[in-house]
Amino acid sequence: MKIIDSEIYSLPKDIDYKKEYLKFEAALPEGVILEKINKDKNEIALDYLIAKEFEEAKDQLTPLVEESYNTGVVFYLPKDVKVDQPIKIEFNMDDDNPVVINQNIIVADTASEATIIIDYTSSEGVEAFHQGITKIFAKDKAKINVIKIQRMDNKAKSSDTNIGFIKGQGQINWISVELGSAITVSHYSNYLEGEASGSNLSSIYLGDGNRKIDLEYSMIHKGPRSISNIETKGVLMDEAEKIFKGNLDFKKGARRSKGVEEEYVILLDPTVKADSIPALLCHEDDVEGEHAASAGQINESKLFYLMSRGLDERKAKKLIVEASFRPIIDKIPFEDYRQIVIDEVERRFMDDKN
Amino acid sequence: MERKKTYIEDIDRGIYDIKNEFTYKYKSDKGLTPKIIMEISREKDEPKWMTDFRLKSLKIYNSKPLPTWGADLSGLDIDNIVTYVRPDASMASSWDEVPEDIKKTFEALGIPQAEREALAGVGAQYDSEVVYHNVKEELIEQGVIYTDMETALKEYEDIVREHFMKLIPPHDHKFAALHGAVWSGGSFVYVPEGVQVDIPLQSYFRLNAPGAGQFEHTLIIVEKGASLHFIEGCSAPLYRVTNLHAGCVELYVREDAKLRYSTIENWSRNMYNLNTKRAVVDKNGTIEWVSGSFGSKVTMLYPMSILRGEGARSEFTGITFASSGQYLDTGTKVLHAAPNTTSSINSKSISKNGGYAFYRGLLKVAPNAYGCKSTVSCESLMLDNESVSDTVPVIELHNDDIDIGHEAKIGRISDEAIFYLMSRGIDEEEAKAMIVRGFVEPITKELPLEYAVELNNLINIELEGSIG
Repeated sequence: MKIIDSEIYSLPKDIDYKKEYLKFEAALPEGVILEKINKDKNEIALDYLIAKEFEEAKDQLTPLVEESYNTGVVFYLPKDVKVDQPIKIEFNMDDDNPVVINQNIIVADTASEATIIIDYTSSEGVEAFHQGITKIFAKDKAKINVIKIQRMDNKAKSSDTNIGFIKGQGQINWISVELGSAITVSHYSNYLEGEASGSNLSSIYLGDGNRKIDLEYSMIHKGPRSISNIETKGVLMDEAEKIFKGNLDFKKGARRSKGVEEEYVILLDPTVKADSIPALLCHEDDVEGEHAASAGQINESKLFYLMSRGLDERKAKKLIVEASFRPIIDKIPFEDYRQIVIDEVERRFMDDKN
Repeated sequence: MERKKTYIEDIDRGIYDIKNEFTYKYKSDKGLTPKIIMEISREKDEPKWMTDFRLKSLKIYNSKPLPTWGADLSGLDIDNIVTYVRPDASMASSWDEVPEDIKKTFEALGIPQAEREALAGVGAQYDSEVVYHNVKEELIEQGVIYTDMETALKEYEDIVREHFMKLIPPHDHKFAALHGAVWSGGSFVYVPEGVQVDIPLQSYFRLNAPGAGQFEHTLIIVEKGASLHFIEGCSAPLYRVTNLHAGCVELYVREDAKLRYSTIENWSRNMYNLNTKRAVVDKNGTIEWVSGSFGSKVTMLYPMSILRGEGARSEFTGITFASSGQYLDTGTKVLHAAPNTTSSINSKSISKNGGYAFYRGLLKVAPNAYGCKSTVSCESLMLDNESVSDTVPVIELHNDDIDIGHEAKIGRISDEAIFYLMSRGIDEEEAKAMIVRGFVEPITKELPLEYAVELNNLINIELEGSIG
């Protein structure tokens, strides 16, 4: 299943996104830079834009975004600075602003810490388009949490690439929620380069209608004692299709590293398509790598129990799906966003087939 | 023999270079020609449809590119494929020509001199021929046909014609086409309805048949309610000067029938083993694969089960052991094409001394195949830091009424386990070998006794000197 043909793929050019998207009310600690990306003047951004590391992480789409982005955020955290409040970035695409091509650059210096939430929505019926790259450098002992919620309308298309470089004992934690848009591509690559670097990636996805979902999660272990964890839970119904590629790649030198990858998918209709390729690549012997994948229907006895308590089938199924998603939703550290995700799952589940 | 000289290679080219030049420029004078194919066919005195089939396959072979994925095939001298085809060129002419390391392996395995020579492709016949004849008589009484492919083509032409390369058509890939064009030797087994063959049949006994070897074709048909255990392979590295093996194995398992197919492939270290194996299973039938890959320079081998009848079952047990200079790309494919089919895959791989072990598998469930169950388990053990081990299992599900579980693990022997055994007075080398034997134990117990003993011996040999 190939969702995007890169040879004929091009991005819309010179379409501005005029709405305000960066929300942060509290005063920033000294030295922190948080501003919208600007091709001409963001020195830090430019420094890291040409960084050598990103060259190797490039895919076919990266140059396109770097050329024609219209939005994005540059965020720099100096040494030892912790930002307690979440940085909120909200894109809402509508008739006047249907295109978001964003490049976000986050640089976290030694022992800094911050949480960023990026939320993508689009108005009903608008053929919105989102293409984005988020690049994160986490230096020694830095900790960056990123929560991405994509709940765009069924007419929209969304493609999102995320690249993390982790040095020393730095850590990047991703939470990815993919609930909307007709086509969604979501790629994450994390390079664990330092000793004891860490990265966690938790994601949920819901495929309904004719949605096509392309997920690729990679953890590239280079540093010794680096630790990664991928946990994905999904639900497919109607004519939805998804392909999941999970790569645990242990490069030479990644001694005593550990990587775990789990993927669970619940299949609700006979017309769904679910492909999984969980790859385990190993060039170093002293590592522990594990992956597990499972796919199946909803447990019938659970369903029967709930229905015997007076829930109709749809509601009972929704409850079981929600229970499967819940451990990941609960990792989102903000009540309002947890509720947003739960409501959206419920809306998609209850609305569609009626 | 004169012809052979003409085709001896002089230029060493890169793989991509060859791909173009071979198909367009040298088609007529280098590589295989229809003339050679006709000659092979005439020597074997084959019916016309087979000659036509060979020629058709040759056309396909010349039009297909080399695979662009998997192992590096650039060491394969594809321009001179014709020298592999001529079987007499492939045998070492005397025991003295067999390389030292192979001789040593034979000695370590405890194989008698006469048998060693036979296995090395030097000797002609040996004592096991008698055993083979005894087995044969018993089978004839039950109505079982067990013969070589050449004889089968003459005596059971209808059956062969109906099944030959229908499961693995020449269009499948370049080496299937090559096989179709130049196949030679192999086994033909037909088990009639309801017959249970108690003793395992072993193609081991017939490997010395003239012309058998690199392009052998195995065709097994197990009729309704019958059962068979077939063992194929050589119990020691079969040394050959030439370096390409492209056999085909086609297995037909009818309703309620059961076939267990065991192979131990332990080719010499200069071999490119590009074998194709496929089974089709009807209603409530069972196919069981037991597959061991140890030798060869490069192996690309993915036995496939097509479960086309309701309730059909497939079981795959495989072990791969890659050592220095080896790239073993193995795995299995299962296609669930009917409702309530089940499959289980259990694969283990060991890599050491810079060996490359690659598990590549496919599990596919068709849209109409409801109620399927499958478990896939892959475990890899790396014995040192130079080796490489990759696992890429592809899972494609096209309906919802299924139950699929997959897990894979990769790692090394834990220091604690070694320490514990050593504290009990076992030296390090033996401790390591014990752990490896424990790791492969679920596989060895699936093997017939002599093969299990051999596997253990092989592990001892392979592990010698690996610590330090």
